[in-house]
Order: sequence, then C-alpha cells, then structure tokens
Amino acid sequence: MSLRDSKPGPRLAASYLKATALLKLVYLEMFGHDMSWASFNVLEVMASPKYHQKRVGYLAAIQSFRPDTEVLMLATNLLKKDLTAASTTTIALPIITLPHVITPSLALSVLSDLLPRLSHTHPAIRKKTIVTLYRLALVYPETLRAAWPKIKERLMDRTEDPSVTAAIINVICELGWRRPHDFLPLAPRLFELLVDSGNNWMAIKLIKLFATLTPLEPRLVRKLLPPLTEIIQTTPAMSLLYECISGIIQGGILGSGEDADGREEIASLCVNKLRGMIMVDGDPNLKYVALLAFNQIVLTHPWLVAQQEDVILECIDSADISIRIKALDLVQGMVSGDNLVSIVSRLMRQLKLSSGDRRATNNSGSGSGDSDDEDLEKTIDSAPKSRDQSPPLPDDYKIDVINRILNMCSQSNYGHLTDFEWYIDILTQLVRTAPLPRPSDDMDTLSASGRSSGGDISERIGNELRNITVKVQALRPACVHAAEAIISQLNSEARIGQPVVSGTLKPAAWILGEFCSELSNPEDVLGLLLQVTQKTSPPESLAACLQAAMKIFSLVAGDQLTPWTPERKSKISLLMARIIHSFEALVQHPNLEVQERAVEFIELLKLTAEAASSQEASTETVHQDPPLLLTQAIPSLFAGWELNSVAQTAQKNVPLPEGLDLDEPINPNLNFLLASADSISIPVDESDEFESYYYQRPPATSIASEPAINKLLDTREDITSSYQQPTEESYLDADILAKRKAERLERNRDDPFYIGESNSIQRSSTPIHNILQNSNGPDLDVDSIPIMELDLDKLSAGITHSQPTASRPTRRPPRQKIVVAADENLASSGLSTPKNYDSENSSEAAKVRAGGKKMKQSLLGVDSTSISALSLEDNPAGQPYDPEAQQREEAEMAQAMKEVERLRLEMQRANERIQVAQGVDAAGTVVKKKKAKKPKASTAETDPDGEVKVKKKKKKVPTIDEGGGAGPASTATDGDVVKTKPKKKKKARPVEIEDAGAA
Amino acid sequence: MINAVLVFNGQGQPRLTKFYTQLETSIQQRLISEIFTLVSNRPDGACNFLPLPPLLAASGTSHSASEPHNDVPSLVTYRHYATLYFIIISTSTESPLALLDLIQVYVESLDKLFENVCELDLIFNFETLHAALSEMIVGGVVIETNLDRIVAGVRAQGTIAKRPVNESKGTGLGAGLGVGGHFVWPGR
Repeated sequence: MSLRDSKPGPRLAASYLKATALLKLVYLEMFGHDMSWASFNVLEVMASPKYHQKRVGYLAAIQSFRPDTEVLMLATNLLKKDLTAASTTTIALPIITLPHVITPSLALSVLSDLLPRLSHTHPAIRKKTIVTLYRLALVYPETLRAAWPKIKERLMDRTEDPSVTAAIINVICELGWRRPHDFLPLAPRLFELLVDSGNNWMAIKLIKLFATLTPLEPRLVRKLLPPLTEIIQTTPAMSLLYECISGIIQGGILGSGEDADGREEIASLCVNKLRGMIMVDGDPNLKYVALLAFNQIVLTHPWLVAQQEDVILECIDSADISIRIKALDLVQGMVSGDNLVSIVSRLMRQLKLSSGDRRATNNSGSGSGDSDDEDLEKTIDSAPKSRDQSPPLPDDYKIDVINRILNMCSQSNYGHLTDFEWYIDILTQLVRTAPLPRPSDDMDTLSASGRSSGGDISERIGNELRNITVKVQALRPACVHAAEAIISQLNSEARIGQPVVSGTLKPAAWILGEFCSELSNPEDVLGLLLQVTQKTSPPESLAACLQAAMKIFSLVAGDQLTPWTPERKSKISLLMARIIHSFEALVQHPNLEVQERAVEFIELLKLTAEAASSQEASTETVHQDPPLLLTQAIPSLFAGWELNSVAQTAQKNVPLPEGLDLDEPINPNLNFLLASADSISIPVDESDEFESYYYQRPPATSIASEPAINKLLDTREDITSSYQQPTEESYLDADILAKRKAERLERNRDDPFYIGESNSIQRSSTPIHNILQNSNGPDLDVDSIPIMELDLDKLSAGITHSQPTASRPTRRPPRQKIVVAADENLASSGLSTPKNYDSENSSEAAKVRAGGKKMKQSLLGVDSTSISALSLEDNPAGQPYDPEAQQREEAEMAQAMKEVERLRLEMQRANERIQVAQGVDAAGTVVKKKKAKKPKASTAETDPDGEVKVKKKKKKVPTIDEGGGAGPASTATDGDVVKTKPKKKKKARPVEIEDAGAA
Repeated sequence: MINAVLVFNGQGQPRLTKFYTQLETSIQQRLISEIFTLVSNRPDGACNFLPLPPLLAASGTSHSASEPHNDVPSLVTYRHYATLYFIIISTSTESPLALLDLIQVYVESLDKLFENVCELDLIFNFETLHAALSEMIVGGVVIETNLDRIVAGVRAQGTIAKRPVNESKGTGLGAGLGVGGHFVWPGR
C-alpha cells in the first residue's frame, strides 16, 4: 500500500507485479484455493489502463466472482466505461465477463451501454454481444423487450456476417424451447438458412429449433420433410444426420402428417439409419447417440423400437457402462411377456459375473454349523477366486440394474410374468448379488445414519418377495420356502461379531411369521429366527423378527387338538424358556419399538409358562386340556383376518376423525422424559452370544444343506454355452438350480411324454418294470436297453434353456392360471387413486417425480423460468425503450405494493375483531380458531391467492423482477386492481366463517 | 447451452476450468474429481459420453425421468488427447456429436496457436487458453466454430508467448496432443 503513494515509476512496476500475482492466483484457484479475499485487488487490476493487465483482471473476475461478491457493485461503472471503449479488444472484455457475473441490478445498469454494441462494426463484438444479451435476459427478462427487435433485424439481414447469424441461431435455439411462439414468424427465414447456408453447425441448431416449432405449426412439417429427407440421405456428416433424425422424432413429424405413406417412409428411413449406426462396427459414439434417439422414439412409437430389439439387447452387454444404461432405459419400455425372461437373464448374468463367487462360496457351507474349521476353509477358498474376477461393476450400477429388474417384473401388477417360481428364484439370487451396505462395526452410526443405499436395495428385493407372497396365493408355499432359505443364509453368513445388516431380513421375517402355517418345520424356523435376533443390527428388522418368532410360537404351541401329554408340556415349557431367554437380551435395546415388543412378549410368555406349569398333564386316565392361554389367547393375537395388499393411496381416503389434533403433544412433559432417558446407561451383555452358541439348538440343517452333486456343478458354471441366451446356470446359484431341477422332475413325473433321468425312473418304477426285472432275473438289466437311454431330459432341458420363453408356457399350461390379487382400496377412492396397480413402482415413480418437481435449482443449471413469463409481442412498436422510465415504474410499483400490504394488515386486524365478536355464540369454537389461524400461516385454502401473491411480490420488488404476471406497462391501473382484490376477499371471509358457525 | 468446459490431465490436475454458471470453488473441485474418476475408469474403445456424475445426477432430475428438462445439465462429453482430457458439460439443447467436434476445433485452434501444442504450453500460457475458449464460447453459447477466425481473434489480443526454449525435445510432452488423424469426425 505504501508503494502506491510513492513515485510513478514504482507504481507501474507495482501494477505489473500485481497483475502477475493475480494471474498466479487465478491459476491456484483452479486447484481449489479460495481467492475471494482478493476480490478487491481483482477490481484494481480490472481498472488498469494497460490492456494486458486489464485482461488478467477480467479473467480473475470471470473465474472467482460469485453472486455474493460485494465488490461487484463497485465494478458497475468500470464495466460501463469499458463497454464504450475505443479498442475492440477492450470492449470484448466486459462483454465476455458479464455472463459470469450478471445480476438483475447489474443487467439493468449496463443494458443501455450494451445495446449499441449490437451494431458495432466488428462482427466479433456483435456476436458476443448477442450472447451476452441472452444471458442478461435470463436474469432480467426485460432485456429481451429492448434487444429482441435489434437481434431480429440482424437475423433478417442477408448481408450479415455468417458467424453472427450462427450465433443468433444458437441463442434463438436456447430461447426457442422456452417460448416457441415468438419464433414462429421467423420460420421462413430460418427455413431459408437451413436450405441455403451449408453450415452444418448451424443446420444442427436450426433443426433443433424446428423440432420445437413444429408442434405449434403443423404446416411446417410438410415444408420441412423434403429438405430433411434429403439431408438424411445425402449428408456425410454423422452429427447432422443424427440431429435430423432426432429433430424429426422430437418435432413429432413422425406422427403428425396427414400423408401416411410419406410418414411411413420417413419413419422406416430413420429407424434404418439408426439401426445402421448401432450396427456399424467400432464407433461406440454412434451407438450411444442412436440409443439416445431410440429413447426418444420409444415415447411415441414404441412399436418401431420394438422391431430393433435384437440390436438393442446386444447393447445391454456392451463393455461401456454409458451405452449399457441407455440400452437399459430402452429395454424397460420394451418389456413384454415374451422377452422378459431373456432380458432379465441377461442382466442377471452380468450381475453374477461381476459379483463373482463372493456369496457362492459362503453358500456352499450354509447351514452346516459354524465350526471354526469350515470358516477357515471358506476364507482360503474365496481368496484365489476373487483374484481372477472380471473387474467389478460399480455398486451404483448394480443397484440400478436390480431396480430395473424389479421394475420390469412387477410392471402392471406382474402382468408380464408368466412363471412366478422363476421370479422367486430370481429374487433369491438377487438377495445374494445385491451389494452389501458398507460394513460398519459401530451399531450406533448405522442406526443413526439410517439405511444406506445397499440396505435399501436388498430391502426392496425383500419387499418384492413379500408382495408376491401376499398377492399370489398359489405360490405362498414357495415364497415362504424362499424366505426361509434367505434367512438361513443370512444367518449362516454372519460371522460372530458381525451383525446381519441386509434389509431383506425384515420382509423375509414378516413372511415367515405371517404365513407360518405354510412352513414345513416351524420349530426349526423358530430356532433360526431366535438365532438371527442375536445378530441383527437394524432395529426395524429386529422388531420384525421378534414378531415373527412369536407368531410361529403361537402356531407351534397353540394346537388345540393335540392332547396335553407330559411330552408336550415339557416341550412347550422348554420352548417358552428359550424364547424368553432370547428376548431378554433385547429388553434394554436402544430402539423403543424393539424394546417394547421384547418386554411385552416376555411378560406374556411368563404368564403362559405359569399357566402351563400349573396345568397338569393328561395321563392315560385323566384327560386334561392344554391351558387356554396357549390355545386361545395367544393365537387370537395373530390370527385374524387375512392381510391383503392395500393401495398406496388408500390411507388418504380415510376420513379424518373429528376432534383429532395431531399437533397436540400426548405428554406435555416430553422433554423431561427424554432428558431422564438419556441418563440411563445400557449395560452391554456379552454373555448372550456364548449362551446362544452353547445352550441353544443348532440352526436348521435340513433346510439349507444341499446334495454334493451341486458342488460338482459349481465348478464350471461360469461357462455359458450360448451368448444369445444365457442358460440358467449362468446366473443362478447352484443350490437354486438344484431346486429348480428337482421341481421340474417332480412336475413331469406323471407326464407320459417326459422321460426322466435314469435314477429317478428306478425310484418310481412301474409295476411292469418290476415284473420284468423279477421275471428276467438280475442278469438282464432293462435299464441298459438303449431305448431307455434316450435321455430326453437333457434334450428337452437343452431346448428349454435355449428358448425358455417359447417352450415354458406351452409345457405347463395349468401354471398359467395364477391369480395376482389387485391392491385393495376404499370404495370412494376412485378419484384420488389414478393407477395403483403397479403397487411399489408407481408410488416410487411418483415419489421420484414429486422429488424432481420439488427439487430446487440444480447444480450448474440456469434458471430460466422468469424469461418465459415475459411477453414480447405486446410491446408497442413506436415506444422506445427507456430504462429510467422503467426504474420510475418500479419505484411506483414498490410504493403501491407497500400500500397494499398495509391495507391488507388493517383488513386482517379488523377481521379478527369481527371473529372474536362472533365467536361467542355456540357450536364449534375450535373450527373457528383454526380458520383464524390459518391465514396467518398463509397456508389457508380459503384465501391463498390474494395473500401469498402479494407477499411474494413485495419481496421481489427490490430485485426488480416482473415474473409475477402484472405487466409493468400498465402499472398504474394494475396497482389499483391489486389493491381492490384483497379487499373483496377479506369481505368475503366473514361470510364464510358465519357459514361454518351455522353448520 | 454449455454449462462448463474442463481440461485436466491424466492425474486429474486441472489445466482449465470454466463454469458458465457461478459455483462454489469447493463444489467445482468435487465435480472435477468426480468426473475424473469417471473418465479415468473408462475402458478403451468406450464411447465419449459419460454417465452423469453423482453430484449432477443427484441435483438434477434423474435420467429415468421421462420428460426432458432443458435447463438441467444432462450430457457430459469428453475427449482424450495424449495426456489431457477435455470435458464439456452441457444441457440437452446441444448436439452430442457436435460437441465432440467442438472439442476437436478447440484443440486444433490451440495447436495452431502454439504450434504442436502440449500440456506444458497450457500450463505456461493458460491465459491464452482462456482467450481461445472465449473466442469460441461466450456465456455457454457457441459463437464461433471456424478455426481461422478463432485463431485470428486470439492473435488480435496480443502475442502469444512461446514455451521456454531450453526444453529438450525428448520430454515426451512435446510430442503434441496428437491432433488430427483418426480423431477427425467425418465431414464436420
């Protein structure tokens, strides 16, 4: 600072130094070092008389100024001065800087200096000015009113420099989709440019622009078709070709013309070109954009895309994730009953290959006890395998794929599914391939951070299984079995000290509990659940497990018909003691839900245990009934009506009970309770793990153990015979496969056209076979006769594998009669439930949609909503633009708004007085009070417009934004209108309240 | 419109950052590193379009949303030259293939300005880098695609400093960015 006060020589040197230092600072800023502290120095350098230093200053401003940079206010005059400089290079600096730093007030003040630059002699300045004016218009829409006539003039000028014309087209293209109506009059000129210019860059933009115009002006289609067709057929430029096709699609040209023949022709031309782009070898970019175009076509012409299914399916297996995702987007729209299985199996294969054998190895030892030896074996086993895996897919992608699989299968209330057992197997497999949530040792952080994304997806899979179980009655046994397998697998996978975190546990446990009557061996499952409760960390899952264990217990113990023998008595007493013991560990669980359920069940079981011990067992002579608590009370807790799936929106249709106030605290002393709860310490009970390990029954071994043959199958399962249609072996785990095979054999045993494997024939040998064998003696082995060796199983299995969709439905017609229950809803709900058949999906999609709408300005996005509200046309032609007049109007407007606000407050106060006076008479003071409160919170349904709008406007006035709708051209009258409007509303309100009182 | 133009090298060090909407410095850095992770994991022969980085995907509408929204950045295009990655983030109003050409034009213009451009040039002359870009794109809108005009525009602003002369030829960086050849798009 002292340097500045000294002589001119050093000052020059100092300014040079400062500029250099600033340049270095800008370079550092690129690496993430904050330079907001230097913003005043930036301003200094910007003001330098030397061009090169000035340029550095402006560059620094572009890179480092943010909307909240305060020195921006000081820069206004500098910008205005440089805009009117003599040198073209100097003029360009503020022009290119303005888009980066623009604010509405800055726009207002520089506009008058920027506009004359539109007619600068140098084309480079003209084109930059045009773009800058566009950016000004985004924050300050009034810019357009002044600038648009001049820009239009430039566009119409045939002698204009071509690059300026191109820049104008680019800007119009940006504006075009926001306010296409304004550009319709330009269509002839734009068309001329498209045909004559020969500039591919501009042609691309023009086609994009036309695509937004054609929906408004159908006559354009006929005019556009010949040149577009010509371009498609002749252009060597792929980018132009692609944009032509994309423009034709987006402009709705495919669907709108009256001339059917020509339309068909162009449609097939486009689709064929796109197909060519995908097929052309070696250029993934073309593949990608072709898929983009297909994604647009599929919205309007799904049948055209469906014809290209083969090439699109190829893209699903592309090595490139961007292409894969785009192909997946497409595939989701193309799913039908015929191709669902093949599509899903492709995806499953991807998942399986990428996740490797991480789960498969664990699975091979599932359920067979937790001996340490086996654990060691497992780790050694899995180590080399994980090394030669293909590079793993990112978890995000996996989750995306799983979501899509579930969406595809559950579409239109499972309308596309023909084979539900296959789906259940897919779900079981998905649970294994789903990416695990990040392992976390700390239980608290896990519960505090909520469910991670990995947990979410496995819960979604579980929910699908639950949906099937509830909706498809015919498959309940299979579903329950699958849930059991899942839980036993989760249980066996969890090592000691590592909790089960998979979100599948909750729905799976629920299925087991709710449909426990379908269980083959309820007592084993009960043991399994009790074991799982010791290892589970997510409280929701834990609560579900507790409930399920209780339900199963009520089934096991509540049998009324079995006599109350001493064996039964002791068995049930033991069982109860075991459950109580397991639950006692959870009595002090930090989660209230878990704690409550545990305490309740323990008390209930203790009572029951007393009753059971006091009830004498029946002997041979004396018959004794089992205690009523066991046979009547406990089962009646759980056995009631059947649970059906309920539509997501049904809850909304339940009328709100009178006098229910959800805002009123139940316990006014809540804070004290919470504070005292904090001081209670929770002792960590470490002995439980050991006790359950040593004293409890081992888990159900019979369920998950598998034949040794599966281990043989396991070795070569990665080799697929066909790349067209992956076989089931390629994406299902060995044990699931074995189950499928066994089921198939079982199913076909009575089928005379189906000859099973040789060993199964021996087992189910016919009497004739036996007679033959007996009479011929052991020497003659009928099985060795070649005709029996004709192994149709393999043959037919091969066929089904290669064409699963074609053969399966024909082979098992009776299976088709599966009834999928629709969601239940309230009778009166027709209006508010648009389409609830997609159960989970539709609601989730709605959530996404709602989220998207609610989401505010996206990162990097430009908010252009205000610009579309402005109307260009009502600008009287003769009236020149005058920023000062504008400002005056703004001030008047602000004044008027204040007045309105003041009046409004007065009205409201008066209103309240009236209400107090009226509130004395009888009937429903509560309602009245609510009514009085609501307007204050400005959420009232009775009077939202008047009030909310006024408030918004008042806030907006300082930012000089006319988005609110009231045109400034008619400010004076407008103010009056606004003034009177609220008055009317206020007057109306007391009447309404009287009505409410009378009602 | 174009939302951002980024250049970084194979180690993820930025060489040029230009955001056409104002953004916090820290968020800029996060975005750069997210895009770098995406870019550096691309297999050979993959297409030049990236899936949206988490930062953009989370803030914008998701890609599965059916209605296209033209204000939200939806396209991340990149090109790889020698040691450098050139990235353009744009909305759906830009043509993806044209953006690839645009990157090509930019690199070609740099090549003309520096004569056999290499990463070192970009480090020592990053002001010129910005100048060339601002001749092509202003406020996120493309204003010029003609190579000669861009070069002329930059030259009009003053001389371009040459890279230090004592640089030996065998540094590897001096091999240029490999402009031209098979990268040229047919019939731009």
